[in-house]
Amino acid sequence: MENEIHQVIPIQPAPYSRSRQAGEAQTVLDHIVDDFEENPAAMQYFYDLFRQVYCHGDEIPHSGKLVGTTCIQAPEELIYAFGATPVRLCNGSYHYDQRGADFMPAKSCSLVKATLGMLSSDNVIPKIGKPDLVVNPSTCDQKKKSSVMIEGMGYQVYDLEFPNVKESEASRVYWRRSVREFASELRKLTGKRLTRANLKAAMAMTGRAQAAFRALHNFRRQTPSLILGKDAFLVTNAYFFDDISRWTVAVEKLNAELAERQAAGFRAVQSKAPRVVFTGSPPIFPNLKLPLLIEEAGGVVVADETCSANRMLYDMTAVDEWLLNDMVDSLADKYLKPCTCPIFTRNDDRKRRLLDLVDQFKADGVIYQAFSGCQVYEMEYRSVAEEFNKAGIPMLYIETDYSPDDQGQLSTRIEAFLESLKNRKKRRA
Amino acid sequence: MSAKPVLDKVRDVVNEVDFNRFRFWFQLVAFVLFVYGGYLAIDLGSKLPFFSCGYNREGRAGVCYLLPLQHQLGRPLAMLFSMASLAILTGFLTFVLWFIVLNKGWCGFVCPLGTLQDWISALRRRMGIRFSNYTQGQFAQLTKIKFVLLALMILIPLGVGGGIFSRDMSPPFCLICPARMILPMFTGDFSQFTVDFSSKTAIFMTALGISITALFLVGSFVKKRFFCFFCPMSALHYLISKPALLKLKKDGSKCTRCGDCYAVCDMEIKEIADDVKTTDIMTDDCTLCLKCVASCPESGALKATFAGIPIFVSTEAGFIKRMNKGCQHGK
Amino acid sequence: MKDLARYCLGGMLALLLIGNVTAQTGLDEHSAHASSDVVRPRPPENATPEERRAFYQKRAAERVKAGGGGDPVAALARTAPGNATLDTAPVKRTQDKSTPAKPEEPARASGRPAGMGMAMRGGGPLWLSDSPPSRGDGAARGGMGGMMGMGGMAMGGERGGAPSKRLWLRAGSDPQKSGFAREDGEAINETLIVRPQGPIEGEALPPPVDGKKNLLFDMPVQGYYRVYASSRKLQGEVLNVSVAKAEISNFGHGGDEEERAQALVAPRVLESAPIEIVREKAPDEKTFFQLKSGDEQAFVVLQKGLPLQGARVRFVSHEGWSKEAVSDEQGRVNFQIIRDYFPPWDDFKKRFKASYLVIAEANAAEQGMFKDMPYSSVRYQTTLSGNYYPSPNDYRSYAWGLGIGLLIVLFCGTAVYLYRRRRLKPFREVRFDER
Repeated sequence: MENEIHQVIPIQPAPYSRSRQAGEAQTVLDHIVDDFEENPAAMQYFYDLFRQVYCHGDEIPHSGKLVGTTCIQAPEELIYAFGATPVRLCNGSYHYDQRGADFMPAKSCSLVKATLGMLSSDNVIPKIGKPDLVVNPSTCDQKKKSSVMIEGMGYQVYDLEFPNVKESEASRVYWRRSVREFASELRKLTGKRLTRANLKAAMAMTGRAQAAFRALHNFRRQTPSLILGKDAFLVTNAYFFDDISRWTVAVEKLNAELAERQAAGFRAVQSKAPRVVFTGSPPIFPNLKLPLLIEEAGGVVVADETCSANRMLYDMTAVDEWLLNDMVDSLADKYLKPCTCPIFTRNDDRKRRLLDLVDQFKADGVIYQAFSGCQVYEMEYRSVAEEFNKAGIPMLYIETDYSPDDQGQLSTRIEAFLESLKNRKKRRA
Repeated sequence: MSAKPVLDKVRDVVNEVDFNRFRFWFQLVAFVLFVYGGYLAIDLGSKLPFFSCGYNREGRAGVCYLLPLQHQLGRPLAMLFSMASLAILTGFLTFVLWFIVLNKGWCGFVCPLGTLQDWISALRRRMGIRFSNYTQGQFAQLTKIKFVLLALMILIPLGVGGGIFSRDMSPPFCLICPARMILPMFTGDFSQFTVDFSSKTAIFMTALGISITALFLVGSFVKKRFFCFFCPMSALHYLISKPALLKLKKDGSKCTRCGDCYAVCDMEIKEIADDVKTTDIMTDDCTLCLKCVASCPESGALKATFAGIPIFVSTEAGFIKRMNKGCQHGK
Repeated sequence: MKDLARYCLGGMLALLLIGNVTAQTGLDEHSAHASSDVVRPRPPENATPEERRAFYQKRAAERVKAGGGGDPVAALARTAPGNATLDTAPVKRTQDKSTPAKPEEPARASGRPAGMGMAMRGGGPLWLSDSPPSRGDGAARGGMGGMMGMGGMAMGGERGGAPSKRLWLRAGSDPQKSGFAREDGEAINETLIVRPQGPIEGEALPPPVDGKKNLLFDMPVQGYYRVYASSRKLQGEVLNVSVAKAEISNFGHGGDEEERAQALVAPRVLESAPIEIVREKAPDEKTFFQLKSGDEQAFVVLQKGLPLQGARVRFVSHEGWSKEAVSDEQGRVNFQIIRDYFPPWDDFKKRFKASYLVIAEANAAEQGMFKDMPYSSVRYQTTLSGNYYPSPNDYRSYAWGLGIGLLIVLFCGTAVYLYRRRRLKPFREVRFDER
């Protein structure tokens, strides 16, 4: 027996690009790029970026410590100020969603499952490297409960305590304190000191990125649209992991092109195309299922109220005195006060924000995506629907997840909804 | 060439102005005017709705209305209820006319004592010392003080006129007002920094005045616009602010409640950020400094209007410009 | 507290920046009264101003009959106000308080100081006062706005009308003790008034109406009003020429600017005056000027508008302390207003109005005729009276002021600093009551 030679044929790991996961990304990306005409030339940067990162599995370089965040509430200016790089860990891959099912009940949010799935796999895509710290703001229940699980996967996790009432002064005080504590945690992690110059530089950096985003956002007010929503989502998705300066430059280039388009009277869609505001659970590449279905069906997503795009980049910080104490407090306020996340007790701000978006972007209707298992969005549906009813704005509520199985059924519903918007528009005209 | 694009351009320039710098220079000019204008024989009367202190005899270019008001109210009662008091009424009307023009903007842009507090704040800022805040509970209590002071400011002179109080208590508010001591200093008059030992009341009042001035110096060093919070002039302003021309308006539908305006508010007025229903958003504590408008990133959410015409509107472009400037220089 | 009621509002009004002095009423006349040790008959409580005036006139006439101003205590009774509470506490004079440098005390015992060795009309030099004898002992009047000289004193006038002013001609060289000047049939008397916008050579001021002893005139415009009461009388071979002068400033806050500007540059000299004293204004002097004890004040003696050298000038303070000097080639003499107000602290009034008197004399060997009688020399005498107030240095303390200020700055600064250092305990807002 001893002499027997067992020739173990090592299983060659298949290259990532041939994996099911890469295939998923490839399909969606091809769809985004090839099935639509006249994509802006400046979008090529983003197409290439996603192809490299998601389809080829290329590594994304970063400087300093890597701080993963699971929510938009982790103040990235602070992370940058400490010389670390933030990366948003929220994931949109169906592959990871399935992997993450091991950790969470079946009926839970795909996003959280996908994030857990990603963190638990050895070969993390996007290939950002292992975060030195995972910051997990205590927002929704599912994210709260993932904290320990992530820790179990061998990561250092920091629970950033986040209030779930935002109107009260107590919550403001509480949150400001949380942010200050987070800053001291970052100091421990990086060994660096927070200085006025560092924080100012970081705020200048994010400020420029936000200004670029706002410019893009404003171009989308144009009727008929200059750019499709699927591209806009891709741009904001890239902000999750891309180098912020490179990203800003690319967006500024895109804006320049949109300005040209505007001057030339370009139309990305038919003038009759129903304009839709997208709200609810965030579309994250490769799960751009709904925006793509909408735009395939002849609609156009003109604005959104999601934490993967608008909510992440829209609100800007004002500082009165550029002293650390004031800057950090102002930053804290910015991450709490304007936030329209459904985890809060009240959602007046979200309703007002949606009404304002519909008004400002001349939208014809609203599409509300709730990931099945994302209870807070599911629960807020009723109040939001009532608000839109009152205002006479049609809304389509869609409960879905990352699986591609319901595409057919959803496309029928979306087509019908868009058709009704068109008819309504016609009747009004 | 139509006038419209030109007008739009002007509007853009105004809305994107480096507001803090503009305000700094405006305040400086106003300060020089009202503290030293007397040397240029400028006299704008004695009904001014801000602390152009009358005790600054040499330099004043006009006199704060509270001084003549307290004196008029301190007349003997027989005289107070005679025709001679018509002057009180006409005086008040003149004051109202002055006030109506800038509303509380007098506080935020012109008042020398307010400007001084801003300068003391600037000194602290340059020294890198953080400012203090009130808690919400403290705020709710302290905000009433100015109305109490206003009431006392009216009742005590009446009592003096009626013979209940000593004349050494008149004019009561001026005696405890920091402007009485501090502004004359700027023209080299330090005579207000004395304790008057001529009577017990005089000792008390002058010592109280000095104590409050000392508190003012400490307070305005750690707290932005420390004194404005207690200013009876501010209370008086608020009571007659309805017909004012300069207004601070808020469009709640455009507000994201991000709190940027609150973050820059010297007076810590929470309503400016949280109230999305009131359109006339100026509160009793407001000094109408318009910093909130300058720091609002939502186009059209906050604006200053003059006689209904928007003169300074919050814009995204203006916000970004000012913000970038802040990031680079940081004031 | 009682005498507070009597505080004159005139001074306060000086501060009223809308300022119209005209708003003052007859009340002022009473409000300057100091404490009295004698309760005098007074008009009924509810008397109208007319009735009251008639009452006082009648009483004054009775007094003239009774004593003619000879007895300073009995005759120089004050007119007690009908509407103010009368303080019966005795007047506290501080003359008994001996001070080392009390120069040349006038003959108090006689109740009538002897002037400068010249008794023209019984009492001594003639001077114009803004208060009748024994009244002007410094009731707190005037405010921080201040009135120059005698401005604002004993001002009356109907409500809404122009302010008016009363002056009393008194004789004697002690501001407090001199009585009314006596009528003198032998003298030639002449009273001139120079109004701000009137002729610069002056106009005749009618003598007091029967029964009254004061000169009354209106002050319709702002400016300096000067009154010259001159008298000439032959005594042996010497002609005595005496000019009693008073300068009253009448300025209101908010009055006509041009009027004020004019008044400030107008000449203050009467060229026809045989002799007069002019109070020299300080270069930075404003319209509301108050002389304070401790101040240096220069006076210029002029004869027919020209400086008079070698005149003997005497300054008499409120308490009767005096100092003499001789005018220089510019006719100037300088006096430091001495502090002579030393009441117990409880009685101290910072608005205490004290009167001073400046008397100048000069002899000249001039010959001429007076009332068909020859004279071989002339003795000129002139007086100028005015008011001064306690110096703020007497009752204001920088040391205490700055001390208290500094103490509080330090204390509060430290407290704030410590509080901010120590305030590291959050979430202690809610405290539970254990009981």
